[in-house]
Amino acid sequence: MSLEVRQAAVKRGAFALAAEFDAPETGITVVFGPSGAGKSMLLSTLAGLHRLESGRITLNGRVLEDAAAKERVSPHLRGVGLVFQDARLFPHLTVRGNLRYAERRRPAHRAAPVVDEIAVQLDIVGLLDRAVRNLSGGEKSRVALARALVSAPELLLLDEPFAALDGKRRRAFLAMLRDISTKSKLPMMVVTHQIEDAAELADHVIALKDGAVVAHGPASAAMRRQEFTGLLDHRDIGARIEASAIPGGPLAAGVWVKADNVLIAAEAPRGLSARNVWEGHIASIFREPDGSALVSLATQVGYISSRITPEALADLRLEEGGKAWAVVKTHSI
Amino acid sequence: MVPAMLSAEEWRILATSLGVAGRAVVFSLPVAIAFAYALSRPRFPGKSVIDAMAHLPLVLPPVLVGFLLLLAFGRRGPIGSWLESTFGVQLAFTAEGAALATAVMAFPLMVRAIRLSFEATDRGLFEAAAVLRAGPWDRFMSLALPLAWPGVLAGAVTAFAAGMGEFGAVITFASNVPGETQTIPLAIYSALQTPNGEALALRLAAISMTAAVAGLVAAELLQRWARRRLEA
Repeated sequence: MSLEVRQAAVKRGAFALAAEFDAPETGITVVFGPSGAGKSMLLSTLAGLHRLESGRITLNGRVLEDAAAKERVSPHLRGVGLVFQDARLFPHLTVRGNLRYAERRRPAHRAAPVVDEIAVQLDIVGLLDRAVRNLSGGEKSRVALARALVSAPELLLLDEPFAALDGKRRRAFLAMLRDISTKSKLPMMVVTHQIEDAAELADHVIALKDGAVVAHGPASAAMRRQEFTGLLDHRDIGARIEASAIPGGPLAAGVWVKADNVLIAAEAPRGLSARNVWEGHIASIFREPDGSALVSLATQVGYISSRITPEALADLRLEEGGKAWAVVKTHSI
Repeated sequence: MVPAMLSAEEWRILATSLGVAGRAVVFSLPVAIAFAYALSRPRFPGKSVIDAMAHLPLVLPPVLVGFLLLLAFGRRGPIGSWLESTFGVQLAFTAEGAALATAVMAFPLMVRAIRLSFEATDRGLFEAAAVLRAGPWDRFMSLALPLAWPGVLAGAVTAFAAGMGEFGAVITFASNVPGETQTIPLAIYSALQTPNGEALALRLAAISMTAAVAGLVAAELLQRWARRRLEA
């Protein structure tokens, strides 16, 4: 385990954060939770911008902070990078100046991603000589990420830097993060409150609610836990499928399939346009307060949930343990 | 009424003023930056003491400031006698003394302008620098100063313009020596004491006014530029 957080407690005004978890030394750990759960505060604390009231943080065996022993490594000596939601580019420098700022302060022994290489990878070559005030939101996000990568941290924290992006540009940014994580072996912790983003990025999950960790572990297991799904909106209820299980699926860790986007068939469907049809057994049927039923199907790609009306449940005569087929429209993957 | 050309005497008075105000600003600027930066930081022990010290010359009568300087830096004062015996430097009744008195009087103005500039800087940028491995001194040199420097310049220009007009503290501490400590306001005062000196006083007043207005305009332009720069 590369990052160990033990009984860490932080206070800011009336808000208190308590955390205990491990994060692995490779891959992406998603910090998930509703607004105000303490996600940003957790990242700031790891970076050393908030002081621990109690507890201990170690990174690769090195103590970053130990409240009991009164040990505390200053933020600039931690080797922990942080990409802020609002980019925080230095306004008196050009884009290149911002990247050079990080490069000049990188210790000689850290493997060096070259500014020009990163600029190509993040598609900011054309921006290098621009003033940062003239960049769009998406461009600022990419430059902020590039600056953090140039600094070659041991752990990179990202506080929802893609919050300002929508649709296609958001997907592209997330895909880029996956790509960087796979190629660079740089462990990352990414904050998001969107379940699709979480499923797409996460190898590992830390779920927060009201300042406490309610679930953590490998994404495949943690995202199925009730403590995790309990954080979701009614409309977001669904299940995570490994991206590798889907033929021609996206370059992502996983895909979140919402129960509202899944049809259930009692017989093997034929002549359908949907490419993704999975056979399975009904693991559970949960009646929601409004009468609709949440049917969970155990298939070869994992559990898939479908939300159906009470009438459909009666018509199809679905029962726990029975056979059924889940049909997922491709565009919802 | 006012011929465009200045007489040799007027040139000398103007040069004395520029020299005194210039030296006052150059030597007090680093101290003012340090005070302003300290005061722009969140609470720390002793902050209100430093704040009061920086603003004291604003509320004390200038003559009193000159008198206090005389007590401390005069030939028999504790600092003055040490300076003379160690370095052979005498401040009272010299141009350097006039610069010191001017610097003390202009200090609060300078600190104020520079402090506003430091305070206008987004604190989040310092966190961003810290996680890019910039230590506290590094952050001051690479971020705080470059971002605030139009404000620093504006503070220096304001202090320079105000310094050109300092009277009470200068005449008390450095006296009114033509060619040495006789700045424009002191020369106006002397001219008014002299029969038929009104014409010279008026011409000096015009010079003084021009310099002051030019200083204020320059400071305002610098402040605007500073605000534009900080918009990311």
